[in-house]
Amino acid sequence: MPELTQYMILSGVPKELIGLILMLPIVATLIAFSREIIGVKGFGIYTSLIIAYAFVGTGLANGVVIFALVLISGTLMRLFIRHFRLLYLPRMAVVLTGVAFTIFLMFIVAAFYHQTEFLKISLFPIIIMIPLVEKFIGAQIERGPQAAITLTVETLVLASLSYLIITWGWLTGLILDWPLAVFPAVLIFNVLLGKWTGLRLTELVRFRELIKYVELSNKQ
Amino acid sequence: MAIPLNYLLNSRGILGINARNQHYIRPSGFKRALRIIDNKLPTKRIMKKAGIPTPETLGVIKSMRDLYRFAWGSLPPSFILKPNRGYTGRGIIIVYGKKKNERFAWVKADRSVLRIRDLQTHIHSILEGDYGKSGLSDIAYFEERLKIAKVFKPYSSRGIPDIRIIMYNKIPVMAQLRLPTSHSEGKANLHLGAIGVGVDMATGITTNAILNNTFIEYIPGTRLSPRGIKIPNWSQILSLAYQSQVATRVNFLGVDIAIDREKGPMVLELNTRPGLAVQVANLAPLGERLERVRGLKVGNAKRAVNIAQDLFGGETEEEVEEVGGKKIIGANELVEIIAGENKKIETIAKIDTGAYRSVVAKTIADAIGLDKIERYKRVRSSLGEEERPIVKAVLKIHGVAIETEVFIADRNEMKKDVIIGRKDLKQFVVDPTKNILIKKT
Repeated sequence: MPELTQYMILSGVPKELIGLILMLPIVATLIAFSREIIGVKGFGIYTSLIIAYAFVGTGLANGVVIFALVLISGTLMRLFIRHFRLLYLPRMAVVLTGVAFTIFLMFIVAAFYHQTEFLKISLFPIIIMIPLVEKFIGAQIERGPQAAITLTVETLVLASLSYLIITWGWLTGLILDWPLAVFPAVLIFNVLLGKWTGLRLTELVRFRELIKYVELSNKQ
Repeated sequence: MAIPLNYLLNSRGILGINARNQHYIRPSGFKRALRIIDNKLPTKRIMKKAGIPTPETLGVIKSMRDLYRFAWGSLPPSFILKPNRGYTGRGIIIVYGKKKNERFAWVKADRSVLRIRDLQTHIHSILEGDYGKSGLSDIAYFEERLKIAKVFKPYSSRGIPDIRIIMYNKIPVMAQLRLPTSHSEGKANLHLGAIGVGVDMATGITTNAILNNTFIEYIPGTRLSPRGIKIPNWSQILSLAYQSQVATRVNFLGVDIAIDREKGPMVLELNTRPGLAVQVANLAPLGERLERVRGLKVGNAKRAVNIAQDLFGGETEEEVEEVGGKKIIGANELVEIIAGENKKIETIAKIDTGAYRSVVAKTIADAIGLDKIERYKRVRSSLGEEERPIVKAVLKIHGVAIETEVFIADRNEMKKDVIIGRKDLKQFVVDPTKNILIKKT
């Protein structure tokens, strides 16, 4: 471990915190890569990133359960109040009230069954997941329910992948050994990524009929 | 799954989102484009100044005060409510007509009823900026709803079809007819469920159609083919697209043009981030076309239209040249065999001038119910002599219907299920070098 990391740890900066900070650009790059090269975008870089970090706080299994419950309760609440014709912000507030109530119930149930692991989860990672509801509803209005579900699944996959990377012991060890190398490496990679103008993998699938047609016409 | 290298090579001319943004949108006056085009009302003002016809604005609501003072009685039975800064069709309400026996109540495309209170809530949301990208407060406005042109009426039960022209460097590069469906609530946006149809740039005749990124042969719920529709005023439409680009000075642009039954072509909207499905509907890579017009200098609309028609027209198999009043067909042609109402099938036939009478495979005849045998005839073929049944049928080749009698034969061993003989080719000239590709059905 280099002197810099040792100095920080000895001065009282938690080792996990250093790892989490250094992982941030790496995970952000992963999400950017999946957007530009693969074509999987989820609800954007911020949502996927923050949910990945929420998963770090809750654990993956608990995190996915909370993720699903937040979404389901938010959507049900929205369906329930649809006929009241409320303005946007009060409507969102009602939806969030439904989400809060569900989380409240969740803790009661966990207490009843003595799920001590679950009860140890702090509120913050749960609150972080709430903007997801707004994103989900927005996507539903704009692109329809099917697209909204696709985007949600994409976000969940991206966040879970990011979680696995954040909690990957070998990589954490590596970046603690080379803390200052992370920044230039990620910067260079992203500049190259930002200049990429080729087709995304999903586009190769989307345009398959057209590509087949081009192939046929070239043969003639 | 390994992607073959060949596949990648063939995808080179296709424009992806990354390349569209980097090579075309950003260098083409991006900031200017955002300011002008993402605000629909100022865009309309610029268009009006340049003498480009746009739908009439019926009322503008800028504040809550405007909203409460609005004279609802001034609205016609049918209109469109739009947010000034909306994008991808968000926040638009299309009102189809007035509800009978009720003052201040209207009907939407999906037949649901809309009252003043609903409109007020919606306009309130628009003013709050719920439909814009930035969330800043916005303006709502009412716009006249165009009357659908007669040619398009059978193809679109709800909503007005429009023509999206991709403009680059002042040259129309690719076009697509967008047909609203009941699923898209009368809107022409492809991702909302509208049909996209490719258009031949030279003639304005439609080619392949896609719905949700898959090819379709018929408009859902009908037996109408979206292929072969001739868009009226084609040169005028291309010229309007050119003028719109000149007026806005944005170098990469999607221009949406609709045709009003009385007023003719009008520019509906401009789009700085036109969708890429247009190249699927046209079966033509957009990147390749854009590269071909990069750097060309164009001085006037007529020249721009000519270049577009010369460069990008006539690539489709729908194109029909004529020699002495006879259409030229190739060695293989798409034919429709019709046995009666709703009993028809489309297939690729071999054009065989060595045969006199046309032959239809038994499998096809059975499928569409061609079973009324008129008589039998002995024929000699390479396989020996046999007795073949003759039935009455209608063949449709390149839009020409031919009433005729055809043989039915077992063609299980043959490549093509149908042979068209000399008897039914009197109206055509056969060019053996012309060969259509087998299309997906």
